[in-house]
This record gives sequence, structure tokens and C-alpha cells, in this order.
Amino acid sequence: MAIYNLDGLLDQYDGEFLVLEFNHLFISSTIREEVWLLQRRNDSSLISKIMQAAREFDIHEVSGDRDFETYSGGQKAILACLLTLALIDDRKIHGLKLLLNNILDSISEENRSILIQKFNEACSTSDIKFFTEKDGHVQEII
Amino acid sequence: MQIPKGKYRLEKRDLNFDIVDDLNFNNSGSCFYLRGGNGFGKTSFLEEIIIPALRTDNLSFLYIGQDIRTQLYTLRALLSIQGYKVSNTDEVELLRLWIHHSQSASVLILDEFDKYFPDYGFIFDWSDAFIRTYIIVTHLGMDGCEAVAKNHRISNARFELINIDGRLKNVRVKNE
Repeated sequence: MAIYNLDGLLDQYDGEFLVLEFNHLFISSTIREEVWLLQRRNDSSLISKIMQAAREFDIHEVSGDRDFETYSGGQKAILACLLTLALIDDRKIHGLKLLLNNILDSISEENRSILIQKFNEACSTSDIKFFTEKDGHVQEII
Repeated sequence: MQIPKGKYRLEKRDLNFDIVDDLNFNNSGSCFYLRGGNGFGKTSFLEEIIIPALRTDNLSFLYIGQDIRTQLYTLRALLSIQGYKVSNTDEVELLRLWIHHSQSASVLILDEFDKYFPDYGFIFDWSDAFIRTYIIVTHLGMDGCEAVAKNHRISNARFELINIDGRLKNVRVKNE
């Protein structure tokens, strides 16, 4: 049994999926830095969009410059999903398969419903597919 | 160990807890589940209220935290220093070894461990002989928890957001 086998996860899935893993959600320390790295500019409108979406999950104290380590584990997982969804929308990405590993189980039932609704919207507009993985089995969540 | 009802302020985490019921962790063979929304302070409650109270009562405890990545590195190093050959040992076996060699502990704390293993009954199998109280943060439904902890007396505490005053969150904690 494995709890946290990142190498194994990537060996098995990174050719086919974009993997979001609970223990490796971000490269940097803040939403602004993360957006800088991904967009190569200070994309304020993307940051605002992520912050606005975060408030739907009761993350009212969200800010582009707040250190990720000051959010709770579940809040970080939500922010990583919102960042990914915002980028998918901004870059008009189509056909992506996103694998969520240990993400949904770290989120409260109420927030999980809101997040899955957002995934649903992305499915219909961008032909994105979302999956989870447990014990070597991948399952589409929508 | 008991956390008396009352108001608790965690200034550095911008949290105020209003604990409306005494939280009693003394019952042997019990599982105490903490539930509530994301960011309502469950982990802070563990680290800033429960763990200090355990230390005050001189109760030895094990804590498997939410960010298991760092902890697994630390466990591997700790067990190596203690003379165990663990370079090729998988993570579950690392945990088993650590728990097996920690039998002075009477409390085991799990923070969302069920996201890795929704059926984490093996943790009870490994530790039932010496752990009196399990304190578990979860987002699983009550049915799921009852199925896993079927041989334990279950209590639940719910964290509810009362309001937010600037950055400060006021959270109610009550038995369920």
C-alpha cells in the first residue's frame, strides 16, 4: 500500500493527465507568484477571478499576496483547483484530462458540491474531463 | 483529558473558538471525530488547544498530520536513527513500525488521514492494544466513520462558522 507515492503516480499517469496532488499543490508561495510563473506576467484580472471564486467557498480572507501556508489544507486544495480552472478558461484549453489525487477528500461536503459544479461548467464549455484515483483505479467524477 | 467549554482565542491564527459543550476525551476505546468546513480551524484546534492540553496532562500521543509528505521523511529518518532498516520500506509499513514502537502513547490523532485510506481500520488493528482515545479530523460522512470505527464508541464535535470580523473568524464548537 502507498500513502504518498508521487513518482509512482506520475509514472503511471502524467502522459495522459494533468495531475493535481494534495501534497504538491503549488510551486511558489502565493497566488500572485503562481500566476506570475504560469502567465509570465502579473495578471491581475486572473488573480481577481480566482479570489472572487474563492469567496464562494467562504475563503473571505483570500488575497493574492497571502502565503499559502496560512490557509487550511482544504482551502489550499480549493485554491489549486480554482487556479487551474481559471487558467483553463483564460487560455481556452480544450480536451484536458485532470486527475485529482487526494483533493476532494480534503474538502467539506458543501464545498465539494460547489467545486464539482464548477468542474461541470468547465466540462460543458471546454470539454475538460475530471478524474480521481484510488488504489490504482481512475474514475471519472462527472 | 477534557477541554472545558468556554471561549478560546488563537490570536496568531485569527480564530476565536466558542466551545459550547465540555469536550471529554477520557473514555477508553473512544473515537472523537472533529467535523466542519474548510478553514474553520480544526487543525488549529488540534495543534493549539488539544495538543497543549495533552501535554499539560502528561499524556503521550501520536499525531499523523495533514501534510504527510514531510512527516514520512521525518519518520524514515527517525526509524533509521533508531536502528531499523527502512530505506526501501513503503510508507504504510513506516507508519506501522512507528506506531508499533510507540506503545507508551495513549492518544492517537489523525488529521484527514482518511483521504489516503477511506478504510483506515488497519490503524485501529495496529494500535488498539494501547491507544485509549482516537481524535480524528474528517470530511467523511458519519456512516463512513461508523463503519471504519465499528468497535469504538464514537463522539462528534462540529465546527460552525458564526461570523468573520475582518480576518478574525468566530467559530462555534459543539457536540453532535
